[in-house]
Amino acid sequence: MLEISNLVLVAQTQGASTRVVDDLSLSLKRGQTTVLVGESGSGKSLTALAVVRLLPPAIRVATGSVRLEGRDLLHLSEREMNSVRGARIGFVFQEPQAALNPVMRIGHQIGEALTRHRGLRGRLLRERVLELLAAVGIPEPQRRFKDYPHQFSGGMKQRVMIAIALAAEPDFLIADEPTTALDVSTQAQILDLLQATQRARGMGMLFITHDLAVAHRMADSLVVMKEGSVVEHGSRDALFSAPVHAYTRHLFAVSPRLTPSALLTPSPVTGEPLLAVRDLNVHFPQRGARWWSRTRSFAAVTDANLEVHAGETVAVVGESGSGKTTLGRTLLRLQPAQSGRVAFLGRDLFALPPESLRRARRELQVVFQDPFASMNPRMTVQQIVEEGLVAQGLLREPGARAAHVGNLLEKVGLDPAWSSRFPHEFSGGQRQRISIARALAVAPRLIVCDEPTSALDVSVQAQILTLLKALQQEQGLAYLFITHNLGVVAQLAHRVLVMHQGRIVESGAAREVLFAPQQDYTRMLLAAVPSLP
Amino acid sequence: MPGLIPAFASVATEPMGLQLLPTDLLFLGALALAAVYGHSAAREPLARARWSRVLHSPGGGIACLVLSVYLAVAVLDSVRVERAEQAPLTVLDLVLTPLRTGMETTYSAPFATHAHARENLEHAPGLWVRDYPRLKFGGRHLALPEETARDLVRRIALGTALGFGVFVVLTLVINQLRGRSLRGAITQWWEPAWRWHWSALGVLCLGITIVGCLADGWHVLGTDKVGQDVLYLSLKSVRTGLVLAVLASLITLPIALVLGVLAGYRGGWVDDVIQYLYTTLSSIPGVLLIAAAALSLDLFLSREAGALHSLALRADLRLLALCAVLGLTGWTSLCRLLRAETMKLSTIEFVASARALGSPSAALLRRHLLPNLMPLVIITTVLDFSSLVLAEAVLTYIDIGVDPSTESWGNLINGARLELAREPVIWWSLASALGGMFGLVLAANVFADTVRDAFDPRLGPDAKGVQGRA
Amino acid sequence: MTAWFVRRLGYFLPILLGVNLLTFALFFVVNSPDDMARRHLGERHVSPAAVSDWKRAHGYDRPAFLNPAQNGLAMVTDTLFFAGSSRLFSFNFGRSDGGRHIGWDIRQRIWPSLAIALPVLILELLIAVPLGLAVALLRGSAFDRGLTLLCVAAMAISSLFFIIAGQFLFARMLRLMPISGFAEGWDALRFLLLPVVVQVLAGLGARVRWNRTVFLEETSREYVRTARAKGLSEARVLFRHVLPNAALPLITTIVVTLPGLFLGSLITESFFAIPGLGSYTIDAIQNQDFAIVRTMVFLGSLLYILGLLLTDLAYAWADPRIRLGGN
Repeated sequence: MLEISNLVLVAQTQGASTRVVDDLSLSLKRGQTTVLVGESGSGKSLTALAVVRLLPPAIRVATGSVRLEGRDLLHLSEREMNSVRGARIGFVFQEPQAALNPVMRIGHQIGEALTRHRGLRGRLLRERVLELLAAVGIPEPQRRFKDYPHQFSGGMKQRVMIAIALAAEPDFLIADEPTTALDVSTQAQILDLLQATQRARGMGMLFITHDLAVAHRMADSLVVMKEGSVVEHGSRDALFSAPVHAYTRHLFAVSPRLTPSALLTPSPVTGEPLLAVRDLNVHFPQRGARWWSRTRSFAAVTDANLEVHAGETVAVVGESGSGKTTLGRTLLRLQPAQSGRVAFLGRDLFALPPESLRRARRELQVVFQDPFASMNPRMTVQQIVEEGLVAQGLLREPGARAAHVGNLLEKVGLDPAWSSRFPHEFSGGQRQRISIARALAVAPRLIVCDEPTSALDVSVQAQILTLLKALQQEQGLAYLFITHNLGVVAQLAHRVLVMHQGRIVESGAAREVLFAPQQDYTRMLLAAVPSLP
Repeated sequence: MPGLIPAFASVATEPMGLQLLPTDLLFLGALALAAVYGHSAAREPLARARWSRVLHSPGGGIACLVLSVYLAVAVLDSVRVERAEQAPLTVLDLVLTPLRTGMETTYSAPFATHAHARENLEHAPGLWVRDYPRLKFGGRHLALPEETARDLVRRIALGTALGFGVFVVLTLVINQLRGRSLRGAITQWWEPAWRWHWSALGVLCLGITIVGCLADGWHVLGTDKVGQDVLYLSLKSVRTGLVLAVLASLITLPIALVLGVLAGYRGGWVDDVIQYLYTTLSSIPGVLLIAAAALSLDLFLSREAGALHSLALRADLRLLALCAVLGLTGWTSLCRLLRAETMKLSTIEFVASARALGSPSAALLRRHLLPNLMPLVIITTVLDFSSLVLAEAVLTYIDIGVDPSTESWGNLINGARLELAREPVIWWSLASALGGMFGLVLAANVFADTVRDAFDPRLGPDAKGVQGRA
Repeated sequence: MTAWFVRRLGYFLPILLGVNLLTFALFFVVNSPDDMARRHLGERHVSPAAVSDWKRAHGYDRPAFLNPAQNGLAMVTDTLFFAGSSRLFSFNFGRSDGGRHIGWDIRQRIWPSLAIALPVLILELLIAVPLGLAVALLRGSAFDRGLTLLCVAAMAISSLFFIIAGQFLFARMLRLMPISGFAEGWDALRFLLLPVVVQVLAGLGARVRWNRTVFLEETSREYVRTARAKGLSEARVLFRHVLPNAALPLITTIVVTLPGLFLGSLITESFFAIPGLGSYTIDAIQNQDFAIVRTMVFLGSLLYILGLLLTDLAYAWADPRIRLGGN
């Protein structure tokens, strides 16, 4: 039994201190999985780190206790704590890429915990590590024992991480967003592995996630957190069938679902397409660190064909490395192509001379993923939104520009009075609204949306998607919507393209691709998506 | 300080005219550029927040105070006033007239009344004795050398009183500038956030006035081989050190900026050529490259020397040449950093969306790249600053530094080094040169540290955004 | 691997050629050989015949880059630049402007330089790495703050101070060792001790501080948290996880000092009258002996380039993610 009672965590920043976790209590029983679910800033990860006393230096425990079989971990010496970490409580972190030591063989990284807590050495140690590798599903453990982390894929690295956490056979396992950095197909495998191991070993697991569908897939019981406090807890079935708290209900409502009911009816496709891409090939030159290093190339997009018509949303779906982002950047001519044709409004974008291209850009705009990198921190909102107007020489009179920016801000749901503020004064969702206003300023026909909601919490994501849909109906905009999230696709796409390893493997109306897929890859992808009841 | 008044009077009565040497002009110009940057930074909230972080931190604030004292000395020493039929003097020279003109014949220790070496003295008519002569300036106002201690105490007391007076006036003026009433100034000035700053200001005021009162009648740091006051020489050295560091940075910046941004932004063969250039240049060991360049320039100057009338101008050109050599050989590391940063920035999303909006390259560079390269430029320049000050002494020691006639820390050390073998030891020139450098370099290093902390995107005021992403 | 090596070496030639071009330009564009001849012969009473004799004797009688008197390839080859560079590339350094045999001088003087530089490098590492680790282990403590403060202060002290103070304190006041000079064989130890100690002290502040930064940055990485979550002791986390990762930036700084190792420290050698390459270079600079300076520049950049090569090799050895020539 692992019991957290009345835990208060305090963040110290330049004299001021704020409560980041407030009076949290929960208990974890062996043989059970408790899922801690909440949006960013809810304090769920800090709670987990507080249990093993690995909080970042700026955050400390103010009051409360963490009892493991009755012993308060917060009062142990560092030495005693070290025989709890790894031995009694295992920990799986979010980013397997960063969480593994890059210059140490994985066999040693696993073995270290065994030597520390079980005193194993030599042949016995090696045999036990090989068993662990096999148990977490790493093929050919004999051969992989001496490999380094960079020789494994993301999912395989997370398996190694799990093997480390399980090595000393802990009674409790804490998994902090273990699949957030992974693709859906890998996510499903890791979730299976974690659940199977937890059941087989009768461990108690504290599983942390922001994704309700994942929570539903894993939980015996759930704890919902918001801004540092628990708003609701209970068994999985009770909580999912009848959520009580308004925030929980809100979370349920905004979480994207893969159901036909949400689908948009495809608009009738008529006339000339707005954008037509024919046989597009994009290769990346890869250069080394020094100027004499040899240049190699890597095919990011192969033989891509697609069309986007006025007023429709075409979603490009794929896992990381599928080439979907490169495709978007190439259409915008932010990335050179090796061969192919991109016709926009009948003009070949690749053949346009620089000045005409600059003019043509007006009607083809973009909204990027990262709300923090997509705005120059040194410009005001006014300057950011009017940048396109200035660049295109539209509305030369400053007063008219200011009025236009005010209108745009209002349209995307922001206060026009905020136009003299700087980006760092806004939240992620507000910044994405500013990005959309910037794209709208030049009255485009097509906007390439490159994962515009991936960095946002689900509730904010829902607001942005609603905004995009409203703008489409109002202005007849077309979107090329690039995403890895199939639930989002179901909410706003008319047509869907599925990309895999640089090729478009399947395309068609959203209803057909999502609910009657023809290709094995698409089927696999859809099957891997965890779903809500 | 009674010596001051006639000095100023002489300036006021003579026809005024400025006669600036090339390095004076460039140095004052560089400071003007810095002022322009300061003005624009004050209007932009991000830069403002960063600089106010630097000034608010005790280390950064105190370092700034110390640096501004050094800077004030250098500026005063860079404004040259024309005089009728005489070599021009700087404002600092005029302020320090008693020190400048109070020459002895040779070495004398700090606060000494007698010279360091014996001379033949005529005690009475016809009676020649070999003894230590009284100094012509140091302690000449005393009838008996035994009164030294009392005189020093009196002067220190006077200096302390003066210092407190100056400090109180400064406190009131600063509080007034910050928009406080007199009452508020009196009750609120000792706030916790500024205690360190006020203390440092107080110590500086006291130090300056006490040294001023002492220097009026004594050689506070002794005299050198030809009897010049070492305090005067040390103060004159400040300008050389600062001019060197500032002008070398001023030459480095445009080269590194243009080439680094060009390489990072254009890529392709332009990038290859620029990378080849800096790899080649940085492959030559620094001192050798500087030596080779300085040697050539020196030959060049000596060949053209016939055209130069004044010795001062020649020494000044040599200083300028040294700045040029340090600047022309020192741009590679900043260029490398700027190239990498530009490449990173050009792939960042706000630059990509500016391109997608059709912004021309010039606007992209001016509005997006350059402003966001500024933190890197500032951090690197400030970090390199102190090594340039230290380099002067070393280069002067191996004869490729400043002209022997230029007052500089390197020349002070060079002149004093060989005298260490004498008995009793002549330590004061060496100590004051090393001390002067230590103060400047320590302040510059501490300043650089706080600047880096404030401007590093991982630690600065915009860090919230970066963390928020995780 | 071999292909990588050959390709890398192929790229070094243009750099060395560029270095030569630069030194030639510095000396010949700004000053003609006539100027140099007059300077060496003494400014007064120099007849044109004496100048051309000196130029012929020292090989400066040809045009700098292009010889219009010749035809074809010889237009390029029969020039000062080509002759000088090709000699350097074949390590035939020729004679100095003062008439000394440069190659012989270098072979004589490299040993005293190494005798100072190698112990300095080793001692610095042996002191600065453990200190850096200790500071990282005790971060935030009084020891950390005190040592950091000490380092910042030490970095502000001119290296000349360490030399002068060292000579004054140990040699003159305490009379523990000679002030300067050099001797053959084991006797040299007496003369080497002080310069080595002084140089280690002068560089220690910056190095400890830098190591501290590297170690602290490394301890904030996530794999360190993983290691702690395994229940490893802090010492084991530092030695087994942080140190191997911090080795990469440490290697870079060591290799960068390589040219200095062979060329000696200019200032230290000259202050202590050690007959090494550093003081050789200083003498050449002060005598304005172009042939020696050019040779030292060439050797210096050659060593720098070898340093780059060694860095790459060392990285490939220390970091499993890097493979030479491959992906």
